[in-house]
Order: sequence, then structure tokens, then C-alpha cells
Amino acid sequence: MWGRTLQFLPNAKDREGLLPWVIGVMLFLCTLAVASAFAINSGVARWSSGLTSNITVQIIVADEAARTQQTEAALRLLEATPGIVSAEILASSEVMALVSPWLGDLPLDAGLPVPNLIDITLEPEANINIQALGERLRATAAGAVIDDHQAWLSQILDLATMIQVIMTAVVFMVILSTIAIVIFGCRAGLATHADSIEIMHLMGAEDRVICHAFDLKYLKHGLKGGILGVVLAGITLWLTSSIATDLGEGLVSSVLPSNNGNVWLLLLPLAAAGLTTITARLTVHRALQDMM
Amino acid sequence: MITFENVGMRYGMGAEILQDVSFSLEKGSFHFLVGPSGAGKTTLLKLLYLAHRPSRGLVNFFGKDLATVDRTELPRLRRRIGIVFQDFRLFDHLTTFENVALPLRIKGATKNQVADHVEELLSWVGLEDRMHAKPATLSGGEKQRVAIARAVINKPDLLVADEPTGNVDPEMSERLMHLFVELNKIGTTTVVATHDNTLVEAIGAPILSLDKGQLKLPNNDKAGH
Repeated sequence: MWGRTLQFLPNAKDREGLLPWVIGVMLFLCTLAVASAFAINSGVARWSSGLTSNITVQIIVADEAARTQQTEAALRLLEATPGIVSAEILASSEVMALVSPWLGDLPLDAGLPVPNLIDITLEPEANINIQALGERLRATAAGAVIDDHQAWLSQILDLATMIQVIMTAVVFMVILSTIAIVIFGCRAGLATHADSIEIMHLMGAEDRVICHAFDLKYLKHGLKGGILGVVLAGITLWLTSSIATDLGEGLVSSVLPSNNGNVWLLLLPLAAAGLTTITARLTVHRALQDMM
Repeated sequence: MITFENVGMRYGMGAEILQDVSFSLEKGSFHFLVGPSGAGKTTLLKLLYLAHRPSRGLVNFFGKDLATVDRTELPRLRRRIGIVFQDFRLFDHLTTFENVALPLRIKGATKNQVADHVEELLSWVGLEDRMHAKPATLSGGEKQRVAIARAVINKPDLLVADEPTGNVDPEMSERLMHLFVELNKIGTTTVVATHDNTLVEAIGAPILSLDKGQLKLPNNDKAGH
């Protein structure tokens, strides 16, 4: 009663008692969606940086002598190219290991015309024109083909982008639903306290006095719901990332949220409180305009 | 101070509750508003305490034509009016002190100013020992005195009371009316709606008599003390 805000609304639990829980559930969903979008973003960044710093050159020539000659010529060219840190010919055993999932364990002298592979590591900031390099390679070694993983990478990026768009849509829908719930709750509150509001008006209270009372109420609802939702989401993310850590540094773990860098979660209760307070303020203000 | 000229009032598309009501209230006057149930007393009181604007006619409050008063100016006008409701309309979750303090707090008074005024006023209405009681624990007479204290804490220019003695015994009615007369003596224009003819006769103030939405002025042609 004696705070800075003239709180004339009773604190007793009423129909708005469920509101913090509903806001909590909404924020839980919102947090998971945002965390997933962030995790996919960082996972894709890690994949693409790993893949763009490595390219492979295949020397596809059936005749073994010609293949060896072209491989050595290509290696010399690559080693002389600025921006390339290293270029190494993969041993036949490593090449056979790569094709073994499809062809089975074959002896090295099986007589299969398996291409020679040169694994190239680029400088991190190297801006190499892959197409031009390919043309120069083919001029030196006719059977050379560059694989910069772009086809695979672009499919992965498309998928990641689509998932991020879906997650963003989920976040927007959750925000809109939260706003709608607060509006309904606020209108119910206005109806419940209509008599008190009328008396306050008749005693000369300005709209802002009445709005402040509702602001304070909905600020508390938003904070309570926000903290609840973030705590639940934090526990879920922690459990998920713990499992991801157990999986090691594989493909799956790279898209799961990490325990680090989730400080932004702490801001979400404040965001929820801000959203509910502003929504309540606008709803109450608009309703009061219809009164005398 | 307050003038009604040919005022008509209807709710929505319904029939007119008040028809061609004209009167004026001079500063420091005391009037009773009487009439049978359904005559339009409550509607007239609502117009007097600015709960509604009239459907037609001219209403002038403290020198301002109500038709031209913006909604944002109403709070300042309303702070010059004290209202005593028949059903008290106290805030049940607030104490006697907090209920009476509300108009001062709305006006922006400091905590010390509020404490001084409220304690003094509660003492005047004989409720100094019930300061921290909540309405649920008060008798009808005590609630009405709290309502009166709340209505006059801002020293209003106009005091409007709707059946203030309707829920109390005859002895308490007399005490409450005494409070209104005291307030009127210090310059507060007072309008009391009542069914109690004994009180009306005892006080002997001018009467605004409503019947079927039309005002009769039996005591004198133009209401004024």
C-alpha cells in the first residue's frame, strides 16, 4: 500500500493465479527453441569452418603409371600454390580403408583402379579461387578433380537454415500466444476489479495510477513465470548437453547446446516480465479509455 | 457552483431516466434529494459525482461546462467531490486508515501529511481506536463513518451522499447527519439522498424532489440555501 505505486488491488490469489504457470510453460518452449537455433547455428559454423579449410584432389586415371605421374605433378603444383599449408598424398591403405564400407576389406594388390587422393589443408584466412585452381590442376594433370565438399555442405546449410526458420517461427508463435494469454488475463482482471477501478476513478485517480497497479501485478507474474520457465529449460539443456558430452566430438554433439555460453538464459525472465508488463499496460490503458 | 439545465439522461437506447432536470447548487448549500424508488435519484447522484455525462442538456461544474471537459481533466474535478455510497464501497483488503488515506494518496500527499490528516479525521468521526481494523470487522455504522471520512479527507467542495443512513439504526443516523451538517457549516456544498423523512424534517434543508425522472422544487423555486 505504501510503496511507490498505489497498489489498491488485493494480493489474494484469484483467477490470475495460473498465469505465471502458463507464462512459465511458454518461456520453457521459447527457451528450448532459441537454444536449439543457437546450437544449430554454432554446429553449422563448426562444420563449415572444418570443411572449408580442407579440400581433396582426386587423380582419376586407370593406368597406374600415368596416375602416379599425374599425382606427383599435381602435388608439386599444389605445394607451390600460396594459401596451401600442406598437401599430402594419402597412402593406398588409407584410400582402401575409405572404400572398404562399400567394397569390403580388399588386399592392396587387388588390382582395383582406385584413384589417388591428395589431402590439402588451407590457411585459415586463405582466399583461394577453387575453380581456377582446378583448371590449373587439369592443365598439369588431366585426371585431377577437386572436391571442396560444397555440394554436401550446401545441403547441410539448407537444412540448418530451414530448422532455424522453423525455430524462429516457434519463438514468434510462443511470444504471440503469451501476449494473447496476458491480454485475456488482464481483461479478466479488469472485470474482477471493475468496482475497485470505478471507485478509484471517482476519487480522482488518473489512468496511470490504475495502470501502475496492474503493471506491478503483471511484472510479478512475468518474473515468476520467466524464472520458472528458464529454470526448467536450463535443467533440460544441461541434461541434454551432458548426454552430448558423453557422445564425444561427433556430428551429433556438435549440434547440441553446450553448457557454456548459456548466460543469455538469465535475461529471459526479465524479457518475459517486460513483455507481460507492456502488454498489461497497453490492455489496461485501452480499456480505461472506454470508461468515463 | 453547480448548474444543471434541461438535463436528460438515458442508458443506451432505453427510456429517459431523467427528463429536463434543472437546478443549481450554490456554494455552501445543503440539499436533500428525495423521491420514490425508481424516480432517478441514483442516476442524478451519478451525474453529480461525475460517474456519467448526461445524454442531453447543460451541466456546469465549478465554472466548467461538462460537455467541453476532456476526459483527462475529469480526475481534477472529481477530487473536488466527496462521495458516500449507500453500500460504503470500502476496499475490504485495506485497513480503516488505508481506506481513508486513498484520496490523499491519489492526490500525491506525502506519508506524513497522510498520517496527520487521517488520524485527525478518524478521531473526528470517532474511529481512532479502529484505525487498523479491516472493513469486515466493522459494524454498519462504523463502515459508514469510514466512508464519510474517506469522502471528506480531501476537503471537497461538493459532498454527495447516497442513502448514508440506509444501513444504520436511528441513533447512528442522527450522528451521521450531524457530521454532514458540521461539514456543511465549514462550507462544503452537500447533497444527501434519503428516504428518511424524519431526518429531512429534523434538518429542515431545501429538498430536491424527484418523481418519474422529473425534478420538483417544493421548498423554493430555485434550489439554494
